[in-house]
Amino acid sequence: MIFREVEDRDLIAKARRGDVEAYNLLVSRWEKRVFNYLLRLIGHREDALDVSQETFLKAYQNLPKLDDPARFSGWLFRIAHNEAFSLLRRRKPEADLEDEPRPVDSGGRLFPIELSLAVQSALNVLSADQREAVLLKVYQGFKFDEMAEILDCPVSTVKSRLYTALDLLKITLSPVVLKKETVRGE
Amino acid sequence: MTCKLQDARPDWKSYALGELDAGARREAEQHAATCSACQDELAGLRVTLDAMATLREEEVPRRIAFVSDKVFEPKWWQSFLRPSFAAAAVVAAAILVHAFVRPPAPMTAGVDAAAIEARVTAAVQQGVQKQVAEEVDHRVAEQLSGAVEQAVNKAVADTEKRDDQRAVQLLTAAERRYSESADILNKQVTQIYAMNTGAGVR
Repeated sequence: MIFREVEDRDLIAKARRGDVEAYNLLVSRWEKRVFNYLLRLIGHREDALDVSQETFLKAYQNLPKLDDPARFSGWLFRIAHNEAFSLLRRRKPEADLEDEPRPVDSGGRLFPIELSLAVQSALNVLSADQREAVLLKVYQGFKFDEMAEILDCPVSTVKSRLYTALDLLKITLSPVVLKKETVRGE
Repeated sequence: MTCKLQDARPDWKSYALGELDAGARREAEQHAATCSACQDELAGLRVTLDAMATLREEEVPRRIAFVSDKVFEPKWWQSFLRPSFAAAAVVAAAILVHAFVRPPAPMTAGVDAAAIEARVTAAVQQGVQKQVAEEVDHRVAEQLSGAVEQAVNKAVADTEKRDDQRAVQLLTAAERRYSESADILNKQVTQIYAMNTGAGVR
């Protein structure tokens, strides 16, 4: 992890001097994480890819403004967050997400792929803010203070969104998870 | 069943998400050892987080890359072709040429030697300047075109190589997933068959 950080730093320094190949290498390291974050946040593959591309372009253009290269990941996700929400705002406001979580109907026995589909639909039940908090913490592993910087809000807001999201996920997934546990126990 | 610590009970969500420091973790674990309400809360959180971990990361459908514009940056030798360097080179060349083709001493009185010398110098200077400019233009065009072609060829080759590698990766991942799903399906079918028929599972 330390080596990786040093190498990222080196690539950032080279990219700042106009070395596009160094930047492309940096992109190849981060594109999967950024794409998956955007895909789960936006919920549309082509849009997620377009926004990923836009994110990396903006990051390249603004690289000289990055104060501390060690904080590249948070800074990059901040750009991705801004781009994603700018797209979500441009979209016609879709039907408001329901406040009450709906239990996921799993039908019969569960296959792993069914469980991940259930998780995906449970994530879709959350509000965009709650979903993003889960994505940044559970799937991207950011700390609360890093998330606060990315989302530009206090740590208390981050925790509140995340905790509510976890409660909703627990309710939504409980029938599925219980069924899976029952199958295991049989 | 409630925790006797009530509002002072450990923050289990922060615990499960790895946000507690070592001291707070140890304290929370000691409390959980004797509190079944907290054990239940933590178990529920873990089950939810485990379920969420089943969501796999997807491959990026197309690689994101930017085209280098390095070919348009000046090469070291091109810095010598800047107008100031070119002008200095022309003047230096003119002086040298003039030194070698200096006109002979005046044969007759009354001829304006200085004027002739000035005309010859100007003509030589003009000729050299033109020749150097043509040569510079020619070489710049030649070098730039070669560099562009080389860079384009390299970019195309790199892209094709990356695409090939990505295709192989995607194919391998798809095959692996298919194989895993098939195994699971087989096991499930065997189990259902065994439950329905009472036959032993082989």
